[in-house]
Amino acid sequence: MSNKSLLRLLQAPSIILLLLWMLIPLGMTLYFSFIRYVLNNLRKPEWTTPSISNWRGLGNYEYVLYKSKDFWFAVQNSLLIVGSIIILTVIFGLAISILINRTFPGRGIVRVLLISPFFVMPSVNAVLWINMILDPVLGLNGLAIEGLNQILKDLQDLPLLGRFFSLWPVFEPISFRATQTSSYAVIIMVTWQWTPFAVLIFMTSLQSEDQQQIEAAILDGANAWSRFINLTIPHLARPISIVIMIQAIFHLSLYAEIEIVSRGNGNKNLPYLIGEFSSNNIGAASATGVFAVILANIVAIFLLRIVGKSLME
Amino acid sequence: MAIVAQTSNLGKIFWPALAWLISIIFFFPIFWMVLTSFKTDADAVKPEFLIFFKPTLENYFNMTDNYDYWRFAINSTITSIFATLFSLFVGVPASYVMAFNPTKNTKNILIWMLSTKMLPAAAVLYPMTFITKNFLNIYDTHFLIILVLCLINLPIVIWMLFTYFKEIPKEIIEASRMDGVNTWGELKEIIIPLAWGGLASTALLCFIFCWNEAYWTVRLTTNEAATLSKLIEGNRAPEGLFFGRLSAVSSAAVAPIVILGWFCQRQLVKGLTFGAVK
Repeated sequence: MSNKSLLRLLQAPSIILLLLWMLIPLGMTLYFSFIRYVLNNLRKPEWTTPSISNWRGLGNYEYVLYKSKDFWFAVQNSLLIVGSIIILTVIFGLAISILINRTFPGRGIVRVLLISPFFVMPSVNAVLWINMILDPVLGLNGLAIEGLNQILKDLQDLPLLGRFFSLWPVFEPISFRATQTSSYAVIIMVTWQWTPFAVLIFMTSLQSEDQQQIEAAILDGANAWSRFINLTIPHLARPISIVIMIQAIFHLSLYAEIEIVSRGNGNKNLPYLIGEFSSNNIGAASATGVFAVILANIVAIFLLRIVGKSLME
Repeated sequence: MAIVAQTSNLGKIFWPALAWLISIIFFFPIFWMVLTSFKTDADAVKPEFLIFFKPTLENYFNMTDNYDYWRFAINSTITSIFATLFSLFVGVPASYVMAFNPTKNTKNILIWMLSTKMLPAAAVLYPMTFITKNFLNIYDTHFLIILVLCLINLPIVIWMLFTYFKEIPKEIIEASRMDGVNTWGELKEIIIPLAWGGLASTALLCFIFCWNEAYWTVRLTTNEAATLSKLIEGNRAPEGLFFGRLSAVSSAAVAPIVILGWFCQRQLVKGLTFGAVK
């Protein structure tokens, strides 16, 4: 065997595997999105098996876009969740990475504590937050508000100040189980999990920052803020864009957290909506899937361009 | 040094203290979960036992009875280990070729591999269920989960190995080729020993991703091959009745990975940014 064909052979398994993995399911999704295909239908049993004779053209897309009331809500909600998480993680990530980018006692331990949330499995993250922390009665959320109310009540018994505190309202804990608040719960828990990721990447990048340049800026009398704006931010431009895009891709397909936090209360994102459709209307599920792929690809193209550029260096 | 000289005495105490405070806040939910796991289910919801309580290991001893924990843990371990081994087995030769014998297509292949990672899993949920249930008849088997975990991590594995292999000096390879070492010998005698650290951290990271995977492991299993992700998801709403036992099983599910994660946090940057952040 010539050397060249051996080299091809070594690459072949991974290329073939990934090609099959990508093409077959995606091809089927595309196909199902153009036919009428439902799992249970007594009136039209012929629709329960996929067949080209059930061709529906763009009908599934029209159904998803115009007739199903959930699609636009799911898109909006997906974008709200992804957008908020990205903004919060980048801000926290920048602040924390700059904060710990110095030598101080126990820095190693601080790093270990900070990075830990990133390794918690998503389903544990969701179960932990929604039950033990955010629950309005039994979670720390509920206990803290209850404690606060108790303190206020005790303060009302004070001789002089009591009248002042009796004007205060009794606080209500926020419930994170309603449609809108449960997406806030998802934002909180995922931000908690992914801020460490941003910190880690910004920190790695900060370590390669040109120290002499910073020292020169200090000698020139530049204050901390202008050093941050004019030196650190440009230096971190690429890591920031990478953090944004990687998170966009991961969080657009957020699933476990949504499933655990908001099952049954109407809060959904695109993957969850696809899951709902998949219990019966496969045509609609597939059309929604095609939209999800398009949305992810818009982000992916930018990310791949940056990665491709750094590959050339 | 100039920076240190600039910071005032107050700053020397204030900033590290703030860093400590923030890291403690971030770690707190995990600490809280572990703390709750040592409370009985009854104590776990009583405010008077919030911090001071009589610790018990009962939740950990009852994990098998309450949740059948070990069956899920063994499934997670088996699928994650084999998926990692399999993706290294397929990925090492491929990334070797791409790093040391690149053609003009190599860059495009690498980018394309990465793009497969960006397809939203949900988009192909039904086709995957359909193929594995009706066609291949491998739904809810260890084989299927291993295959899927391997496939979703293969791009990351290849990219990480590629960046590690790139760090091996070209001269070593060229010298061995002058000596007439063939491709196989090169891979076995030179590359693998030299990139051993890189291989280990790639494997570790791949294992972590496999263990934490929470879409396919939940949607493509019912019972037989169900992993810890599925176990926790199935017990999502204890309504406060079982905080103690749920914390114990959750702590047991995340502990090995959080500890492994501490050891490979630096490699994580490489694995997750595809070498674009240095």
